Amino acid sequence: MISVAGVTPRDVATPRTVPELADTVRELHAARKPFALVGGGTHLELGNAPRALDTVIRTLALDAVVDYTPEDQTVTVEGGMTFAELDRILAEHGQMLPLDVADRARATVGGVVAVNAYGRRRQRYGTAKDLIVGVGIVRADGVRARGGGKVVKNVAGFDLPKLMVGSLGTLGAIATVTFRLYPIPAATRAVLLQFTAVEPIGDVAREIVARRLEPESVALYNYRTLVVTFSGTAAGVDAQMRALIDIASPCGAEPSELSQLEREAYEQRERAVRRDGPWRLRVIAPPSEPVVTAVGGVAAAPMAVPVAYPMLGVGLHAFSATVEGDAAAQPDRPVRDLRETVARATHGRGHVVFDAIPDAARSLVDAWGPPPPAFELMLAMKAKFDPHGLCNPGRFIGGL
Amino acid sequence: MSVTLAGVRAALSDAVLQAQFAAIVGVKNAIVGASALRTYECDGLPGYRVRPEIVVLPASTPEVAACVKLSRELGLSVVPRGAGTGLSGGALPSEGCVVIGLSRMRKILAIDLPNRTARVQPGVINLDISRALAADGYFYAPDPSSQSVCTIGGNVAENSGGAHCLKYGFTVNHVLGLTLVTPEGETVQIGSTAGEPEVLGYDLAGVVVGSEGMTGIVTEVLVRVLRTAERTQTLFATFPSTDEAGDAVSRIIGAGIVPAAIEMCDKLAIEAIVAATGVDWPLDVGALVLMDVDGVDAEAEETAHRAYDHLSAAGAIEIRAPRDEAERLLAWKGRKSAFAAMGRISPNYYVQDGVIPRKQIAPVLREIAALGAEAGLRIANVFHAGDGNLHPLVLYDERVPGQEAAAEHVAGEILRVCLRYGGSVTGEHGVGHDKACYLGEQFSVDDLETMQWVRTAFDPDQRFNPEKMFPTPRLCGDRAGVYAPHPAESGEAGRG
Repeated sequence: MISVAGVTPRDVATPRTVPELADTVRELHAARKPFALVGGGTHLELGNAPRALDTVIRTLALDAVVDYTPEDQTVTVEGGMTFAELDRILAEHGQMLPLDVADRARATVGGVVAVNAYGRRRQRYGTAKDLIVGVGIVRADGVRARGGGKVVKNVAGFDLPKLMVGSLGTLGAIATVTFRLYPIPAATRAVLLQFTAVEPIGDVAREIVARRLEPESVALYNYRTLVVTFSGTAAGVDAQMRALIDIASPCGAEPSELSQLEREAYEQRERAVRRDGPWRLRVIAPPSEPVVTAVGGVAAAPMAVPVAYPMLGVGLHAFSATVEGDAAAQPDRPVRDLRETVARATHGRGHVVFDAIPDAARSLVDAWGPPPPAFELMLAMKAKFDPHGLCNPGRFIGGL
Repeated sequence: MSVTLAGVRAALSDAVLQAQFAAIVGVKNAIVGASALRTYECDGLPGYRVRPEIVVLPASTPEVAACVKLSRELGLSVVPRGAGTGLSGGALPSEGCVVIGLSRMRKILAIDLPNRTARVQPGVINLDISRALAADGYFYAPDPSSQSVCTIGGNVAENSGGAHCLKYGFTVNHVLGLTLVTPEGETVQIGSTAGEPEVLGYDLAGVVVGSEGMTGIVTEVLVRVLRTAERTQTLFATFPSTDEAGDAVSRIIGAGIVPAAIEMCDKLAIEAIVAATGVDWPLDVGALVLMDVDGVDAEAEETAHRAYDHLSAAGAIEIRAPRDEAERLLAWKGRKSAFAAMGRISPNYYVQDGVIPRKQIAPVLREIAALGAEAGLRIANVFHAGDGNLHPLVLYDERVPGQEAAAEHVAGEILRVCLRYGGSVTGEHGVGHDKACYLGEQFSVDDLETMQWVRTAFDPDQRFNPEKMFPTPRLCGDRAGVYAPHPAESGEAGRG
């Protein structure tokens, strides 16, 4: 049986069409029954336990292409479409939606927009916020509404698509999404830089900027191994590969080009850190904060090989071992320590979000930490969209 | 609320009102009186003027907050104003309002290159950010054509675009955080404070940007700054007609090339630009395409060659590549002065802003031409072709009876054409006063109600920039949101 952040619903509904989704939500609303949307179920451990949950609405049957015009490089799909399926459809026209998810076979577009998932290619393409151009929602009261549109440039009306990104299903159900697309690059190659110390890693990042290189992604593995990926035209990639190798040696790194298989193996490791392990967390800080120090504070805890995006200011960790001894009974203490360590290391500018917490510890650990300064406005937004508190209540920050 | 307003207005003389705001901003920054207020009666939307009760020019976040609180106590609505260059009437005063102008808050507060951010006050001129960054090789990407005069605060309100947003995105993609004085007068931080890549909770910055002054007053903006590309290659191509030029754009976009910008001008626009700026553009052509590709040197070079081939295959008469930066900038100066250049070929013009799917450029331009011919009006087209953002300029002479109304009518019909092709009534100029009635044709009543939820989460009393964006019976007749007759049809437009 499916559970959402540790809470098992009374019922599961599987609408086959958007009108059916609206009917389902309207009925739940009429009966004041709380519900949560679940796509592929790749982020079920994210967030705090919902205060109440009557029905899980599975979106997997909502997998139709609503509109795809390759010449316009936009696509509108239903929220339950998986990334694997979308990849396949777009690839036929040499196009892609460059959002990274840990499990493309399962993750759905609606789910990824709701959790605002991203990965290494954010360096080049940004997040869902930068790619979404339109959204169709089913509101908490079961009424369908839409914002944005299917054109890539549009400032008509309030920006509902942006509001939906990262709202974790607490403002309504994402029924359809329109994205702008990118061409699949002609060439993709990667350089691996092996360091013996952490300090020069920042030097490489600074040199990448100084030399105006435009990597698709920069990912750091286990504080020592930097993988810099370039994509674009063959000539452009080739020139940047050579430039990076020039940078590396003076910075004290051993550079080597990765074969396609090796590159994919590293990408697989990155996905694993975002997918596996009973405890997973993100450290987020301004890029200038020494990300290695910031994540180094976390390194004391037992965990899998951590991955960081040093040019973005993000560190990802998956605990490989379960926490033992006293910490297992009282995980709030090490979590508090960890939050304090990160805050100290980042001069108060960084924070920690838990992407997964074991069910046994969930009641003791707040996945999000303290609410941000504008929380009153967020509460006001929630009250407008979901006055009865039926949409994933309590799962998001501050009990939203 | 109107009863309260009328009562308050009757009770307050100009002098009393001025004294109350002067206690916050100083007497010379609390402007009353018909002649002094004249400048503030309109923005870049011609034809509409409303005199505000008072204009206040605060110099700091606390002063803005105090002005907002006082306006609230007095029951006055608030209209924020930047440089007043907006083309949709977003800064058009409402009856009995306080205009809060941000022109005195024009400091660049901090530049943080390691985090690639700049913190600026709202009155900072868009281009001044890039100027401040140029020596270090960085820039601020959104580049509306008015960038040498428009302010960041206004850009935030309108989610401004520009030629290069095709590759780089709009204001919303470059604003990381904001300081907002809410309609309640509270000062809150929204979004990123120091360039951290994620913020917790709802993306409020994502909805404040583009909210057209309805969610409060932004008093500081944390913007993303970008490294300038290693190489920018500009191409300039002329075509027999807009059909071939539109085809060239479609081929380039369809081939998976992501230009930094790709712009188009038709014959009439070329004539105006040449007359106004003296750029060395041929006059015996039907259309031109001006485009930039940028990136690392080798990439830009290769992409420019591919683009060249597509321009050529689409039937270009001539393709030029500027020899140096001066020549490149001159070409762009021509493009960016296009609206103002219309004065050379017509006494008056009406700027329209609509969006269509980008493969539909050629047929839509033909429909626009037909609308102009039917009304006996000339229409120039100069626009952001790469993202399908049209700017038809309907030329008219206000001295000829009926022409202004006819121009407005044609401009409105152009929006209906855009909607019929699945587009939008505005790509970058905003809805404002001008297009409120058309928003009801683009969105359903339920869509608009949902957008009102967002607005009223910030401003429950709807005191900030009232009667903008949303169709209302007063603006559009009694079927707002379902069918909205154009002001030219109904004769109910709020001309001041």
